[in-house]
Amino acid sequence: MSAATAIAPALPPRRSRLGLIVALLAPIALINAIGFLAPVLNLARMSFYEVEPTGAMREVYTLATWAKLVTDSFYAELIVNSVSVSLGITLLTLVCSYPIALYLHRSSGTWKTILLVLVISPLLTSAVVRTYGWIAILSDSGLVNNALGALGLPPQRMMFNLTGVTIGLTEILMPYMILALLAGFGRLDPRIEEAASTLGAPPFTIFRRIILPLTVPGIALGCLLCFVLAVSSFITPKLLGGGRVFLLATEIYDQAIVTLNWPLAATLSILVLVIFGGALVLYTRALRAIL
Amino acid sequence: MTDQSTAPGQGLNGAAGEGFLSIRGLTKRYAGFTAVDNFDLEVPKGELVAFLGPSGCGKTTSLRMIAGLVPATAGRIVVGGQDLTTVETHRRDMGLVFQSYALFPHMSIARNVAFGLEMRKVPKDEITRRVKEAIALVHLTGKEEHKPAQLSGGQQQRVALARALVIRPSILLLDEPLSNLDAKLRDEMRNEIRDIQKSLGITAIFVTHDQGEALTMCDKVVVMNEGRLEQVGTPVDLYERPKTAFVASFVGRTNRLKAVAKDGAAEFAGQRVPAAGLSGPVEVMIRPHRIALSPAASGEGIAGTIARAIFSGDILQYDVDVGGQIVSVELATRGGETVLAPGTQVSLSWRPQDIFVYGAAA
Amino acid sequence: MNLSTKLTIAALLMSGVSTQVLAQQQTVTVMAYAGLFQERYTKAVVEPFMKANPGIKVEYFPMPNSAQMLGTLRAQKAAPQADVVIMDVSVSKAATDEKLFNKIDEKVSKNVADLYPNARIADVDGVAVTFDNLVMLYNGDAVKDAPKSWMDLAKPEYKGKVAIPGMPDIQGLSLVLIMDKARGGTNYLQNVDKGIAALGEIAPSVQTWEPKPEVYPVIISGQAVIGAGWNARAQVNADTSGGKLKTALPQEGSVFQINTINYVANGPGKDAGAKFIDYALSPEAQKAFTESMFYAPTNAKAQISEAAIARTAVKSMDKVIPVDWIALAKVRDPIMEQWRRKVIPLSR
Repeated sequence: MSAATAIAPALPPRRSRLGLIVALLAPIALINAIGFLAPVLNLARMSFYEVEPTGAMREVYTLATWAKLVTDSFYAELIVNSVSVSLGITLLTLVCSYPIALYLHRSSGTWKTILLVLVISPLLTSAVVRTYGWIAILSDSGLVNNALGALGLPPQRMMFNLTGVTIGLTEILMPYMILALLAGFGRLDPRIEEAASTLGAPPFTIFRRIILPLTVPGIALGCLLCFVLAVSSFITPKLLGGGRVFLLATEIYDQAIVTLNWPLAATLSILVLVIFGGALVLYTRALRAIL
Repeated sequence: MTDQSTAPGQGLNGAAGEGFLSIRGLTKRYAGFTAVDNFDLEVPKGELVAFLGPSGCGKTTSLRMIAGLVPATAGRIVVGGQDLTTVETHRRDMGLVFQSYALFPHMSIARNVAFGLEMRKVPKDEITRRVKEAIALVHLTGKEEHKPAQLSGGQQQRVALARALVIRPSILLLDEPLSNLDAKLRDEMRNEIRDIQKSLGITAIFVTHDQGEALTMCDKVVVMNEGRLEQVGTPVDLYERPKTAFVASFVGRTNRLKAVAKDGAAEFAGQRVPAAGLSGPVEVMIRPHRIALSPAASGEGIAGTIARAIFSGDILQYDVDVGGQIVSVELATRGGETVLAPGTQVSLSWRPQDIFVYGAAA
Repeated sequence: MNLSTKLTIAALLMSGVSTQVLAQQQTVTVMAYAGLFQERYTKAVVEPFMKANPGIKVEYFPMPNSAQMLGTLRAQKAAPQADVVIMDVSVSKAATDEKLFNKIDEKVSKNVADLYPNARIADVDGVAVTFDNLVMLYNGDAVKDAPKSWMDLAKPEYKGKVAIPGMPDIQGLSLVLIMDKARGGTNYLQNVDKGIAALGEIAPSVQTWEPKPEVYPVIISGQAVIGAGWNARAQVNADTSGGKLKTALPQEGSVFQINTINYVANGPGKDAGAKFIDYALSPEAQKAFTESMFYAPTNAKAQISEAAIARTAVKSMDKVIPVDWIALAKVRDPIMEQWRRKVIPLSR
């Protein structure tokens, strides 16, 4: 024991260690305060300002906007809609991404690198461009409907509605989900799967009892990430929704840019932050329960 | 003493699988190289057999083929009369203990051990009872609710053993289970595994690269080299009657000396050693402690000069120069002997059955 | 005179000259729409202004929409960077209420006296600088006969091929107002049920209520074949598409969209801003811009060519329904709710 203490470097006394920690954290805390906290607090303050129907804003405090949020059933519907659509998209993204991530995790060498590049390369293109791509594929006169027509099948309405938004947003979010899942696959060991197999577990049972539980941290992370991205996404729903899909994010955009009700836009933004906070709490609780 | 060993290449093609585990012509070929080449083996019920060899000899690949984790390129695997060659792993009713233990990290010890029973749809209360027994068998009672990460290496190994045994498999396979443990623990576990295997009467295969482990634990040892079976036999057989140069040098310490054979005999340091059927360059092997050393004047044996004397407490080792080659001689110390100095002329002798001659590559 | 005296006099002369030059060099920062508007306005108004006023430099600061202009003005309130802002009239009202502007009247520019009556809006510090109107758009290849009524949008042959910028965009709101009046509605500030019902009839045929990036390329490409848009941009796109895009002014009429020009309070350019506003409202600037981009002029004295006039709503003023955008802003939310509840569900 004494040999160990002789080798370990002497730590500075407690108080200056605390000072060191504070000094090291200070830059990021400052950036966070200026770039994030201050604007958010400003936004929160703005949600209490008075606003005229024309958009004129006064630095006078009122609860009118928050009251409107609480009393108008449209906003309750909006919140429920946004959360449920985002949850649905997150789930769909998970189901589509999991097999790809698992396959990627199990491959090796050059093939693995090629696959990884294929997975990440969509992120190099702007989401707007990819969204337009989906219009070309799913619209009434797009690739899919042309193929259906050639096969004699009736055309499907897959664009400028919730279907289009769901498909487009799922594809856009998949690279993030795949990367998060891959990070969480570190606990997987082929030997463990082999052990389960020798103990009599058929392939699907191995997946259900061994692989799935072990990858839950990656799943939780991926779902949190994709949920947050889905709730805050407004470009894709605006481009693919055809004006028929009403989500928190699109409403914030409309109130800020078209109807100029900034306090309402601020209120809805704070609401979105609260939703994110809730998601984060659920995430940490879930992880703690599992691990 | 009956010779129960089998020479390489001599399969039991005639007998219709007398062993409980019968392996015939098992082969595994990868693009470019053959990992296991035409492996034949019969294992009677209740025996503990070691697959012994250096890394890359094919012992682990053979084990994994028996388990079904690696598909065989050719050959048959028959257990208790049932051909399992094409049966999937999860239906083979075997227990496998991994070198890295491969415990399920997200399950408690109890659930780890219970897993195989759950797969077999054993009723709940029976599972509880058998798990309790298995955990007691490996002396881990009280740790049922711990997670694997909270246990030491040795304890994890015991859990792995319990998990494989609780399902009462027809065959227990162990893939270098003790390699990750320190020496003292290894010795302990060696005895424990042997005791449990014997008390349960379970047929078991034990893969190892450590000849000490193989010799001390197992009923029979299969020596493998470069995918091929070199020799099968009891530890005594392998030690006293090695059939190939590889077995002779791998099992136990031995001197390796060069000579040339002509007309059925090899001349070595003035002595003629029988070398039936061999001609050309040969390897002559003799174990260091099977050589008697006496002062040169006695006239028996071959003459040599002491090059080095090494006293290490239990053993007195002399490196003796015989006709340009060094022969190591080990003598058990009895106290009171004089250590002969380098340069002393000595005479070396041995029994005929202690010298082995094998053909050598040119 | 020795050398040092000569040098001193030269230095004094030069400093005198340069301060004179500095005194004459002013900068006016104009904040207005980006894209097509910027391109044409610069050529038609900004460049001639700079030519006529060599001492004044104009910096054009482009913005994607009026809301962002308001945001910028709000952010810069303590130290404004812009002098002149061209924005939609309702945003101008908001900015006026927030006291961001100076009032534009005859003292700022004599041309104000010559503006059309509806170019001066009550309680708004700016004045109208362009008028635009809603028109029907159609793809000349797919639709052979020019449509005559807004309700042609509901025709079965166009099912799934109609593109209209819907509410909360003003274009969708305009269409509601037009159809409400056409079907006998009397006070749009109280009730637009008839207009909503009409849109409800059009709704099933609509492919998208948010054609992106704009409605014009969507119709030119044939993805949609008929719809609604703003006249000025429609005219320019009709030219650049080689005639593929065509416009029509249906019998039910249209409404005006007003862009105002505004004088920012405490702007850095000081009185140079007023000079620019004066030029922008002048008959020659109005003529140049109308003939370039087909916005209707706000100065009654502007002498527009016949060809250009035909492509604006100037000759069809009787078909233009007057709309008090400021008052309408107060009831915009209830109308939006009706849109969501009654029009959207009928739309596919």
